[in-house]
Amino acid sequence: MFKFAPYVVKSLWRHRSRTLLTVNGSAVALFVFCFVGSVQQGLARLTEDQQAQRTLIVFQENRFCPASSKLPEDYAGTVAKMNGVKGVVPIKVFTNNCRASLDVVVFNGMPPKKLRSARQLTLLSGDWGQFDSRTDAAIVGQAVAQRRRLKVGERFTIGEVTVNIVGVFRSAVPAEDNYIYTHLDFLQRARGKNSVGTVTQLEVMLGEAADPDRLATEIDAQFKNGPVATSTRSKGVFQRDTLADLAELIGFAHWLGYACVGLVLALVATTTVMAVQDRIKEHAVLQTLGLRPGRIFRLVIAESILQSLAGGFLGIGAGLALLAWGGFAVGAEGVTIAFKPSLELAASGAFVSAIVGVLAGIIPGWQAARTEIVSALRYA
Amino acid sequence: MALVEIRKLTKQFRKGDEVITPLQEVHLEIERGDFVSLMGASGSGKSTLLNAISGIDRPSSGEIVVNGTDITKMSRGQLADWRAANIGYIFQMHNLIPVLTAYENIELPLLLLPMSSAERRKRVEIALDAVNLRDRANHYPRQLSGGQEQRVGIARSIVANPTIIVGDEPTGDLDSTTTDQILDLIQRLNSELGMTLLLVTHDPRVAALAARQIRLENGKLIEKGREVVVVGGEFQGRRAL
Repeated sequence: MFKFAPYVVKSLWRHRSRTLLTVNGSAVALFVFCFVGSVQQGLARLTEDQQAQRTLIVFQENRFCPASSKLPEDYAGTVAKMNGVKGVVPIKVFTNNCRASLDVVVFNGMPPKKLRSARQLTLLSGDWGQFDSRTDAAIVGQAVAQRRRLKVGERFTIGEVTVNIVGVFRSAVPAEDNYIYTHLDFLQRARGKNSVGTVTQLEVMLGEAADPDRLATEIDAQFKNGPVATSTRSKGVFQRDTLADLAELIGFAHWLGYACVGLVLALVATTTVMAVQDRIKEHAVLQTLGLRPGRIFRLVIAESILQSLAGGFLGIGAGLALLAWGGFAVGAEGVTIAFKPSLELAASGAFVSAIVGVLAGIIPGWQAARTEIVSALRYA
Repeated sequence: MALVEIRKLTKQFRKGDEVITPLQEVHLEIERGDFVSLMGASGSGKSTLLNAISGIDRPSSGEIVVNGTDITKMSRGQLADWRAANIGYIFQMHNLIPVLTAYENIELPLLLLPMSSAERRKRVEIALDAVNLRDRANHYPRQLSGGQEQRVGIARSIVANPTIIVGDEPTGDLDSTTTDQILDLIQRLNSELGMTLLLVTHDPRVAALAARQIRLENGKLIEKGREVVVVGGEFQGRRAL
């Protein structure tokens, strides 16, 4: 089959404008496909992650935005004593925008020591010493730093919160690359309000044997008659519920992914049909020389796959590069979904391109293979 | 045993309500090394006969036995393989693949045969030398004159050393000077290389080169000075007119 590779490539190059337009169309469609896939992967990572299932989030009952959840900080001590609880981190959350946004900035105030034990963060620049010693210090996730062009040593102000950036980090959890971590007490005192003693939420790490549902019920029961009633859910469920509206949109967006696949299919199939119809006589000549109908079919399929894959690789490459460099994220109510490139995304894009190439070539390939030699030589 | 034996070959097809029978129980034998020209009026069935012998068209009935194999019983795929190994086809309109160079066009039939790339290269170079086009090997068809294109077509037809070379009006699209060059080349294929040739032509000059000149008239094959005799459906030889 590879003996005929020059013929296949040259045939595509013969109508280079048409081929390039098709490749471009496929590239754009696969680019969108990658973006949609990346958003869906980001949501899945948040809700299905194993760690998210073994961590509980305690929030004020009937509240939606971080600003409206004010739990007494001493709840942390009570929860920590419960059977099956490995650790509790009190977190103060401040966000510049509670609604869905593509450029949400989320501050998480945590006790510095607990931050390092509860999060898997790697500092890309700056140092922990400065973070520990300065109360207004902040370490910034690489996605926010990229998006907002933030560097170590700079001051960053948003709303009424001003921090000194002492580090840029990369997290093992992509969504956290969109967070800015500060000291808990700094964020409690920020914005001109003294909310010392209250936190937005408690993050509860569970032991191996603990049952998350049982503990969540136990925590809510414990504070039912307290000063502030709580609502406790696993971190995955909490994030899914918080992003419910966005998740619905993202769920709908997968149709956009299918539409892209359909678009590539139609585009490549149309081009291949046109290429075959232009070359009815040529295929008759090839058959006269001794090419079997099956081989003609495979040559047409090869042309179709090449166009689809070329467009696919371009679109996937551009999509993944933009995802890697753009630091994109969508967030709502202090929870973010990171758009990250991944090998899985690249592989699924390439697979889709190849399959679409095969499907798009079937009908034109069959037409070419069924060419009646004599009439094609005489009339085509 | 003749190289090609055609027995009771009939071809019918429909054109609207009319049934056309260009070939009616035709008999013909071609020996190895023969140079046969086939003439006849337009629509007499000469191209139909040529296409049937070369395995690109199927007869309605009858047998075509080439080198002991009845090709009318072959499937489409088997016929393709058979053509690759046994038929060299010279087209009237050259029909070179426009995206391939002269070299690649000539090499094309060899890609279908079990052969090393070195052997392919050697054969293509010999074919290019035979048609005196070594210096045009890397030219595309659009960069060649009509005569050069036809010479590439002839090189493509001989490169796999086929059992028989068939040509459908091989000089029909050429001026008289180029026709002379091509005719000289075709004659050398037969006289020097001993290749078996069957050419369909309207041109008496082409027909005159052939050792055997056959006309198709009213469904009968008439060889120059003789009629192909069929008695009771069996080939009986040729009778002097």
